[in-house]
Amino acid sequence: MSLDALIDQESDAKRTAIAKQVIFIGNGNDAAAKAIVDIGYDGEGYYPITPSSEVGEVVSKAIAEGSADMSFVVGTSELAAISVVAGMAIAGGRAVDVTSSQGLMLKAEQMPAISGMGLPVVLNLATRDINAPLNIKNGHSDLMATLGWGWLIFCAPNVQSVYDLNLIALRVAEAVNLPALVAYDGFHTSHANRRILVLQNREDVQAFVGSKPSRVTVLDVDHPRTFGPYMNDDLINTKVQLDEKFKKAYDLIPSVFEEFHELTGRLYQFAEIYGHPEAEAALFILNSAGEAAKVSVDKLLAEGKKVKVILPTVLRPWPEEEMRRAIGSTPRVVVAERASQYGAGNYLANELGATLQRVGRKNLLISRTYGVGGLNFRGEDGIELLNLGLNYPNVNEDERKLRGYYGAWPGDPNYDPPQVFTPLTTEETTFNQEGSKIDFKHLSQMPARVGKHSACPGCGIFTNLNLFLRGIDGQVVFLFNTGCGMVVTTGYPFTSFKTPYVHNLFHNGASTATGIVEMYQRFRAQGKIKEEITFIVVSGDGGDDIGMDQVIGAALRNDPFIMLEYDNKGYMNTGGQLCYTGFKGERFTNAPVGNLGRGKKQHSKDIIEILRGTHAPYLFTAAESNARDMIAKARKAQAAVRSGNFVFGKIFSVCPLNWGSDESKGNEIVDRAVKSCLFPLYEIEHGITKLNYDPEKSGRKIPVQKALEIMGTAFSHMAKEDFAPILQETQEETDRRWQRLKELDTNPKL
Amino acid sequence: MNPTPSSIELPFHDELGFCNVLMSAIGGDGANMAAKLLFKACVSELDLDGAYDARYGSEKKGTPTDVSLRLCRLGTPVHESGPTNRPHILCVFREALIQPLALNRGLQKDAVVIVNTSKSPEDIRAELELNSGTIYCLDATTIAVETGSRLNVPILALLGKILKIPIATLREAVGKTWPRAREANLKAFDRALEGCTQKRFEADGKFELVPPIEPRGKLGYMNMNDGGAIDSVTHISLSSNTPSASITPIPEFRVEICTHCGLCLLVCSDPGSLVWDDKKMIAIDPVFCKGCMRCVEVCPETKKGKALTEPLGATSTPTSSEAEAVLVKRV
Repeated sequence: MSLDALIDQESDAKRTAIAKQVIFIGNGNDAAAKAIVDIGYDGEGYYPITPSSEVGEVVSKAIAEGSADMSFVVGTSELAAISVVAGMAIAGGRAVDVTSSQGLMLKAEQMPAISGMGLPVVLNLATRDINAPLNIKNGHSDLMATLGWGWLIFCAPNVQSVYDLNLIALRVAEAVNLPALVAYDGFHTSHANRRILVLQNREDVQAFVGSKPSRVTVLDVDHPRTFGPYMNDDLINTKVQLDEKFKKAYDLIPSVFEEFHELTGRLYQFAEIYGHPEAEAALFILNSAGEAAKVSVDKLLAEGKKVKVILPTVLRPWPEEEMRRAIGSTPRVVVAERASQYGAGNYLANELGATLQRVGRKNLLISRTYGVGGLNFRGEDGIELLNLGLNYPNVNEDERKLRGYYGAWPGDPNYDPPQVFTPLTTEETTFNQEGSKIDFKHLSQMPARVGKHSACPGCGIFTNLNLFLRGIDGQVVFLFNTGCGMVVTTGYPFTSFKTPYVHNLFHNGASTATGIVEMYQRFRAQGKIKEEITFIVVSGDGGDDIGMDQVIGAALRNDPFIMLEYDNKGYMNTGGQLCYTGFKGERFTNAPVGNLGRGKKQHSKDIIEILRGTHAPYLFTAAESNARDMIAKARKAQAAVRSGNFVFGKIFSVCPLNWGSDESKGNEIVDRAVKSCLFPLYEIEHGITKLNYDPEKSGRKIPVQKALEIMGTAFSHMAKEDFAPILQETQEETDRRWQRLKELDTNPKL
Repeated sequence: MNPTPSSIELPFHDELGFCNVLMSAIGGDGANMAAKLLFKACVSELDLDGAYDARYGSEKKGTPTDVSLRLCRLGTPVHESGPTNRPHILCVFREALIQPLALNRGLQKDAVVIVNTSKSPEDIRAELELNSGTIYCLDATTIAVETGSRLNVPILALLGKILKIPIATLREAVGKTWPRAREANLKAFDRALEGCTQKRFEADGKFELVPPIEPRGKLGYMNMNDGGAIDSVTHISLSSNTPSASITPIPEFRVEICTHCGLCLLVCSDPGSLVWDDKKMIAIDPVFCKGCMRCVEVCPETKKGKALTEPLGATSTPTSSEAEAVLVKRV
């Protein structure tokens, strides 16, 4: 079944609300997408990141089916996506975006600029921890980073409130010209399927959010304004303005909540209080864990214990008076946060502490960090934390500290695993003597530097990597950008790498490698490192969209390492979203094929041609179908870096899962891509282009259709009649690029 | 407007009013879709509410996955999220997952267990170390293969029956959800309901109830490397236990036909699967091979046939003693 949610036509008789509502079954991401579509935004800027990617997929599907009419732009990065949104808003459009974790971090530069300019956009944040080591699950470190960015912050503890608060957030945002964040928990809410109620008629949604308040925009040529000027001493005044807007929002929010209550029967408050009015212990906790803690409260109340849970709905503006009221005279409050300020009091604990102290209140706050990295929070966990509050200070010494972690473990002090292999030596990995012929049997003896992994069966990444590495001698250090290749090889506590390895997020591999290589050269010159090491950065094609600038930087500096791109034509690790490398017409989860959807709208990005302009010493493409050629290029690449040069190679890589292709047919698929010239094999050495394989010359060139038809369901629709014009265009563009390459090959001076 | 939803009585209730179902499968089995379909059918057609969650991560096709369905009477508050860790009903899509994943953990007293297997309930009880309950042994693989359906449909049918979901409702939902595979799926659906081996086991003291296991590894904040870095020499993945790789059928290898041309090695997507020693291919290692059959595709035809062929049955090639020696040497 597809991920889009099913709408039942049944009305809910129990509600006494004004507006007609229907049952909607879906997860938190579906609920956000439903709200976006119903509100009728003018546009969405988008970049995929787990666990929020799905929102854009559902929205783009609605656009493709004709049930939503909005602009949808996939950026090259999170920063690009939110900047697209800023542009839409400066032009007077209603604009929305979704993100999580590191995605939000990359947007960070734009976030205070958007609030500074007073652009009332909405950003859905499916919370996820920010970190190394990489974890894609829940944590609130992303949310907590936003506290001082000048955004309204609404927290949705469950699927229902994701939908509801999306409507409320936009309404408030537009009333005060502030951007708004709707934060719901990654996976625990984003992927939790629930039965919720939504407004049946879009007119009711649109009437609630109201028409766009008019403001001067950059398109208003009769009233030209300079947005985002350069400002010195006056800046502080803009900050006063910003703060005043939050006061205005604080005054406004209760009436918006009340209006929403009348419309839907669901009442929101600055903070939800659940439990005993004279509680002896309270748990102050955000989002899905707060929702789960209601189970704990029920259970403890049934045992005659006076407890309550407090779930803040609004973090910005910080509703100081309401927070004090929520805590009341409860003597001990456990403030549990899915984040930490490391070495300092925690975010909300500090804020609450100050809030109470300002009026001389003496409630004791016990701060705990819990659930970071997606650890589930169940009723039993809430009971533990509430009991801590109830029993304090009569608890064991360890629990008496006012700040600490809940749910971490020390490990087994007696754990002493044996060494299971001896690190590879230069001697046992040397098989490619200069000028030696490429003998597969001989190369079969090259030890694998990358071993057992959890990729899908038939994945192209490891075929390519192992083939390429047969042509690379000696010590190797790997750097992987985030992507399938990374997550399937280093699932803690095991690694697939027999060699040293670094992962430093999605797009930073090239620059990180530069730093490492600089130090390698320095220490080698100092005589501290004897062995020669070859550094190889491995990235997906997505990593080279988001990290394009850093790749270009490394090429321009001519830093001596090999950068390999496994090009599987999409963001496959996040579920098959559009990447610029994709072919025109290719089906993606966020570029669907539907009534109006025609898949990807542009031809494929040609990174080798982009890098040609850097005049990097060695650029190449390679494919598993031409194994000898790939190994020859590996040897050449190693020779190039050994003489101090940067190398970039692009390797065509099948993705049976997201292409919907036959797992066993990888080699044939690649062969056809090469023979159709969709993926020509060539190299550029110091500006001289050389074709390595000319299918035309040997009479083996095939139409692109012959390649696309076996590449799986992401491509096979292009053989259908209504895709004939797109197929034709793809053929023409492929031929145009191919002819150009041939010219370059024949005329070295070009 | 729909008519009033039909009323059904769920077979189990925990203290919060939920009947907890856990499905254990590998990515690609369709457990996720089956649970989602069942959830939608229950919530939209019956007087039920509940939660459908899964254990998410970066799991790829072929790796183990948990899917959870918690059903309750409409009006019961649904507060908690995340998959159940105390299932009343356990559906095992791959018998080989039982032991590596210790699927008896958290399983409640008098549980219902559906296992895709050709073995007997007694054998499965011993494997699972089930305290008490009823084991249904359904050969879903055969049904799926013979009807052209997938594992999820026969298991879903039997689960629906056990949950007392009106069969016509569920059958219709299956047909509607996958229109292109409608005929095959409905055949599989009906076949699953024709009967299977089942047996009830009392709590006879043979096996204890096992509490849910929390994710507490041997490495923690006291002994983890700084920043969670992994020491390769002690934690290389080839010594890790990943049950999935041994689940899927892998190619048959006939060493006597092999010309050791090395083409298979060039296309293999699971390095380590093809065991080579002294420039000769000697075996396939089932611990590494996921059965994509890329090697079979490129293996050249000789007079005696191909050295690598698709397996006839679902069994994997036994590793020869010679190859085993190399495997030991490699580690």
